[in-house]
Amino acid sequence: MLWVAIIGLVMTVVAVAVAGRRALFLFKLATVGPPAPERIQYAKDNAGAEIKTQLVEVLGQKKLLKWTPSGVAHFFVMWAFFILLTVYIEAYGAIIQGAITGRPNFHIPLIGQWPVLGFLQDFIAVACLLGLVAFAVIRLRESPAKLGRGSRFSGSHLGGAWLVLFMIFNIIWTLFLARGAAAANGNLPYSSGAFVSIPLGQVLPASGLLEEIALLLHIGFMLVFLIIVVNSKHLHIFTAPLNVLFSRRPDGMGAVPEMRVDGKPVDFEDEDLDPERLGRGKIGDTTWKGFLDFYSCTECGRCQSQCPAWNTDKPLSPKMLILDQRDHAFAVAPYLMAAANGGNGHEDTDVLALLNKPLVGEEGVIHPDVLWSCTNCGACVEQCPVDIEHIDHIIDMRRYQVMVESSFPSEAGVMVKNLENKGNPWGMSEMKRADWIAELDFEVELVEEKMPEDAEYLFWVGCAGALEDRAKKTTKAVAELLHIAGVKFAVLGPMEACTGDPARRLGMEYLFNMLAQQNIETLNEAGVKKIVATCPHCFNTLANEYPQLGGMFEVVHHTQLLAKLVDEGKLTPITPIEEKITYHDPCFLGRHNKVYSQPRDIMSKVPGVQTQEMHRHKDRGFCCGAGGARMWMEERIGKRINTERVDEALTTDPDTVSTACPFCMVMLGDAINEKKNSGEAKESLEVVDVAQLLIKSVKTPV
Amino acid sequence: MNIVVCVKQVPDTATERKLRSDDKTLDRDAVDGVVNELDEYAVEEALKLKEAHGGEVTVLTMGPGKATETIRKALAMGADKAVHLIDDALHGSDALGTSYAMAQALKKIGFDLVILGSESTDARTGVLPAMLAERLGTPQLTLANKVEVDGSSIKIQRITDYGFDRVEASLPAVVSVVEKINEPRYPSFKGIMAAKKKPVETLGVADAEIDAAQVGLDSSWSQVVDFAPAPPRAAGTIVKDEGDGGAKAAEFLASKKFI
Repeated sequence: MLWVAIIGLVMTVVAVAVAGRRALFLFKLATVGPPAPERIQYAKDNAGAEIKTQLVEVLGQKKLLKWTPSGVAHFFVMWAFFILLTVYIEAYGAIIQGAITGRPNFHIPLIGQWPVLGFLQDFIAVACLLGLVAFAVIRLRESPAKLGRGSRFSGSHLGGAWLVLFMIFNIIWTLFLARGAAAANGNLPYSSGAFVSIPLGQVLPASGLLEEIALLLHIGFMLVFLIIVVNSKHLHIFTAPLNVLFSRRPDGMGAVPEMRVDGKPVDFEDEDLDPERLGRGKIGDTTWKGFLDFYSCTECGRCQSQCPAWNTDKPLSPKMLILDQRDHAFAVAPYLMAAANGGNGHEDTDVLALLNKPLVGEEGVIHPDVLWSCTNCGACVEQCPVDIEHIDHIIDMRRYQVMVESSFPSEAGVMVKNLENKGNPWGMSEMKRADWIAELDFEVELVEEKMPEDAEYLFWVGCAGALEDRAKKTTKAVAELLHIAGVKFAVLGPMEACTGDPARRLGMEYLFNMLAQQNIETLNEAGVKKIVATCPHCFNTLANEYPQLGGMFEVVHHTQLLAKLVDEGKLTPITPIEEKITYHDPCFLGRHNKVYSQPRDIMSKVPGVQTQEMHRHKDRGFCCGAGGARMWMEERIGKRINTERVDEALTTDPDTVSTACPFCMVMLGDAINEKKNSGEAKESLEVVDVAQLLIKSVKTPV
Repeated sequence: MNIVVCVKQVPDTATERKLRSDDKTLDRDAVDGVVNELDEYAVEEALKLKEAHGGEVTVLTMGPGKATETIRKALAMGADKAVHLIDDALHGSDALGTSYAMAQALKKIGFDLVILGSESTDARTGVLPAMLAERLGTPQLTLANKVEVDGSSIKIQRITDYGFDRVEASLPAVVSVVEKINEPRYPSFKGIMAAKKKPVETLGVADAEIDAAQVGLDSSWSQVVDFAPAPPRAAGTIVKDEGDGGAKAAEFLASKKFI
């Protein structure tokens, strides 16, 4: 009938116009800030890899499927959107054909009567329905009303989420009504395969009006849903693939991105550099990639559920970090866009106060306690199904706070001063950096301007490794293991300085640059090619961040090198260590650099060792609390993160806790000592580096 | 209000400090120089007073060329300009010579208030604030952990062993501060950039109308006659308790005349 087609098409034109207007608004808003040319360049240069990521992460739902029940449910609901596009082609075809010929028996040319397609359509619709049920069950079981702060949905917009589920449900039931009615009228293109629609046709009355109303309802709900989507957190169905496309690869971890002003990397020597524009101080400083993060967040709360700060009652939730910025961006959107166009028209509002509302501050969008609670552990980035880069947001806001406002926890100021004056966070004399060598009974070569001819590796000892008592044991163990295995190495001794990691993670990019350039110069002048580092923070900085400043070295972590030496038979663990050991994954070794297996391989080769994993391990490992320069700040809010982690370690009843990071050693060691004092841990419990285990086993007892 | 903060570059306390063998003065080239920590509190307090009452903060330092690092640091924190008193004739001046030279420079600069740290971490005489006040003929308010300025008068809280004194004086005055007074700010990058462009005036002995015969190593009232490195700590005596531990310990203490 003509009226059906007219209603259907008018509805469509109106809805598409409304949605289109919103899409244009979203695009304009996202592009008010500085550009991010590096993101476009990377996607262009790596087109092949980006296509693969789209296939694996978007179509294959790799990250969502890390969580089985919700992942599977989402997989089917998402695929329903793709497959049911064919049903919408059929629906529009039907109303148009009905208007022309009087009978809505349209089918898609060529494949349109293929039973497989009919089956697929019915199947995915049923699967989608089941997915909706699963989502509803998950939302009820994990409701914030029940679990409070422990719910991953705590803080999310719950009403909006239920509305979305309800709208998808409406689309599915009208789909079956329309297809069933079509089957009853003999208009369904499939004579077999559509295993729900065809039987439904047998029970429904053969009514042309019913079919037409059902078709209009089916189209109508879709159009209303479209408008809801572009106005809600469900926008992710359009923005998530883009966000995945423009996110850092392999993920938003490892290196901290270079600091940029107007899309150009900052040169601190540049006399014209505007010091007010470093980092992000207000919402207008956000690049379009930041806005894509805002637009892509579905408020699922997987990040929140993994966050060490949130899980120890601190105010930081990675989800709320994104949502608070997004809500503020929408609140000031009209003024932001007017300002970008140079126009006004908002004389009645204190526009400047809104636009210049500090991004971070007691009265700002993000509370300073939120900003400074982050350990940069990457648990949120690891989990985010739409590749939001939380750490990048944190770092850019910290940069503004530190370099422009000079506002950061005062304890960290001591560390910064020590880095400036002494090149290490403790402010100890650089002459002490080689003291550990005297405690060994073999020679360790010191680089004197040049690397010794026969040395294969430069052993990057790190400040902790050289100066901190517990870490020095690891340093000595690694040196001795390399010595036993016949690997020639040299150390920089007093010429080594902090890599700059704590400064960079604090937001002190300027100081990071100074330290990094100085170290790169030292390493290049010495002719260093290969580096082995014991500290995962040094390792990450040397391997992933120094290339940004032209420092190209082949960098390995000691666990990687030692695992290889054990594998090659150059190190043979023989002395049994009859202990139950649980391994704590350092974030900057594990999540940031994906080194999960080598430390475990080493332990598995040591006879007698019984390993027991903690509940949260490998890519879901729980931070010790020291990352993101938190090592040098007081932890005043909530439960201490290291205590939380040691509580978890104690559930495995270990004889020893092993790790592979000097900061994890300090944090876990301190928490274990507290537990010993309160009688909750046995006196013999120790934290050791896997290298210490290995040396104990490689040597025969005397 | 015109505030002058006196700052000093000192050798980093974390490094091994040495005296020169030739003239027995501090070997400044062999060590890293840092801002004397207490002076950072002085700069902070000056900046706070400026923020509250307006005016200008001038940094004054006396030292060799290397001391410009310290000047830049204070300027990066937010001071407006600096005066660097630099002259070979000043080398080796003791507290009397230094206070005379600094006072001459201060007279030339002009001030309502002079703020400085209560002592330096190198020489640690702690007498400069008092000497300066005496030479300038102004009230001295030392060891302040709280400073309030009201028009032409200044009130401080002076920390003492028994608590604190409230001391009040009229401006101009000399104030020395202790570390409890505030939390020195860390220079922002903006401050560091701006510091590069702030004016630094250098003054020689003649410019500041300093009588060269009253300053320098030879005119110093105190002289370093000799010095020696601290002897390495000797291994202690370990008393093993074989039933007579108490007696042995007592014997040891008696031999050292402790009991």
